[in-house]
Amino acid sequence: MNSANFANSLQGWVGIGPIWVWALVSALAVIFLLALPFGGFATYVERKIAADMQDRVGPNRVGPYGILQFIADAVKMLGKEDFIPLGCDKFLYNLAPVLVVMGACAAFAALPLSKLLMGADLNIGIFFLLSSTTLIAPGILLGSWSTANKWSLLGGLRAAAQIVSYEIPVALSILPVILISGTLQIGRMVELQGWSWAAEGANSGHFWNAFHNPFTFVAMILLFIGGLAETNRIPFDLPESESELVSGFNTEFSGMRFGLYALAEFADVFVMCAMVVALYLGGWQLPFINLENLWVTLPSGLIAIIQLSMFLGKTFFLVFVVMWLRWTLPRLRVDQLMGLCWKGLVPLALINIVGTAAWMWIFKGQSIAQLVYKMAAR
Amino acid sequence: MSNGLKLVLFLAEILTLGSAVLVALHPNVLYASVALLFAFLGVAVMFVYAGADFIAGAQVIVYVGGVTILILFAIMLTQWLYKLNLREIPGKILLPILVVGVAVVPALYKVIRELTAFIEKAPPTDLEKFSSLPKTSVIGQALLTNYVLPFEAITILLLGALVGAVWLARPTK
Repeated sequence: MNSANFANSLQGWVGIGPIWVWALVSALAVIFLLALPFGGFATYVERKIAADMQDRVGPNRVGPYGILQFIADAVKMLGKEDFIPLGCDKFLYNLAPVLVVMGACAAFAALPLSKLLMGADLNIGIFFLLSSTTLIAPGILLGSWSTANKWSLLGGLRAAAQIVSYEIPVALSILPVILISGTLQIGRMVELQGWSWAAEGANSGHFWNAFHNPFTFVAMILLFIGGLAETNRIPFDLPESESELVSGFNTEFSGMRFGLYALAEFADVFVMCAMVVALYLGGWQLPFINLENLWVTLPSGLIAIIQLSMFLGKTFFLVFVVMWLRWTLPRLRVDQLMGLCWKGLVPLALINIVGTAAWMWIFKGQSIAQLVYKMAAR
Repeated sequence: MSNGLKLVLFLAEILTLGSAVLVALHPNVLYASVALLFAFLGVAVMFVYAGADFIAGAQVIVYVGGVTILILFAIMLTQWLYKLNLREIPGKILLPILVVGVAVVPALYKVIRELTAFIEKAPPTDLEKFSSLPKTSVIGQALLTNYVLPFEAITILLLGALVGAVWLARPTK
């Protein structure tokens, strides 16, 4: 495979060692330097944003502005009594949080942080992202059943039904991008969203996919809504709805097991937002500037840093929107949830696919930006 | 293949076979379905080693994300099913199970024989080259050119299944 990945570049820099050792090292690096810190930090940001929106102060004791709160929380959770409720299924109780974290962390391997900084630019990139996050649903379902608590079981069944049904609009809203870029490889998809002034045709930079044609803009919003539902975030937090189900599928989990669930949820939110950014909002691309094609040549390290901050900036903005929605929208009912999915999102997503295909055929794969530029140049 | 990669493949094989044995022998049907999940994951790893990355992804999405969830759903929504001890199944059902099991063996044997013959015939360099090629576009082109009739037939079958599901689930008047 002719793709950039951590393991190969690490082996290249150091020069020795079998590839599988470096693969192991890079996997650990992705989990411990990216997935877990983000998951932990997001719990702090969420509370701070909630506090701001409700005119409170929020966590402000540990470190400046309470920024080290999540580390204190992790220590607290690790120090708690390892409590296993009576009558629960011990094996599944221990297995379930691990499955959920596994699914959320595996997806980080295929996120395009920058052109050269990428766990692995797989041929089936976007397909890998979808498939690794499917591990979360069985994890939640088994965990909820293992605790022998009826609220947990109700929450788990809701979670599984919701995730399975919203996978369909999510997958259907990814298809327009695959139609446009003609590949499943995420690195290539992001590269095609760059901008070069003399660009023509489908196989050159055509600006961000969200603005490729009207249908893709709708598809991006559908993907975001579907992602919200898949990560069980408000307004789709029926699996956890504290006013009906205590705390839903994680009611009986305490200590670090509960911590793992929370961590996996936030890691999953990050993956979902990163997916929207990579597919529709140009990934690490700057708007209208091609870093490798400037009047001065920048060092590749600087380019990587700019691209990384671009990608993280866009992703964190979407994460902020997710948290913002949490304090803005009320929760849906179960029938409204299913109605929205099957009567709203799925037909719209199908229209988007047909519309994008028609656009590709009529305008020979050119985006709105390319057409406007052409008209202006004439 | 380096030794480390071989070790991972070996572990995946052990995971698959061990889980498969558990699926067949575990008395609790819920545990059997959890073991089935791990067997599916092991098979996905083997697909990756065979160079079939797209099939590996599809294996995880369809079998882990779909089939296992449906099995778990059915078990959890049926009150007596997860308390059922599979060892209590009466002997008269065992006979048909045995007959079907024995009948499958020759078919499996033939498939394995033909596959090994095919692999032995192909020159090793071709296999190496093929296993590192991107397969997704090849699969897509094959489905829409050479195999378009079976492909369309399957879509009609799936449409029929969808319509049937809606018909079954609609409220009775």
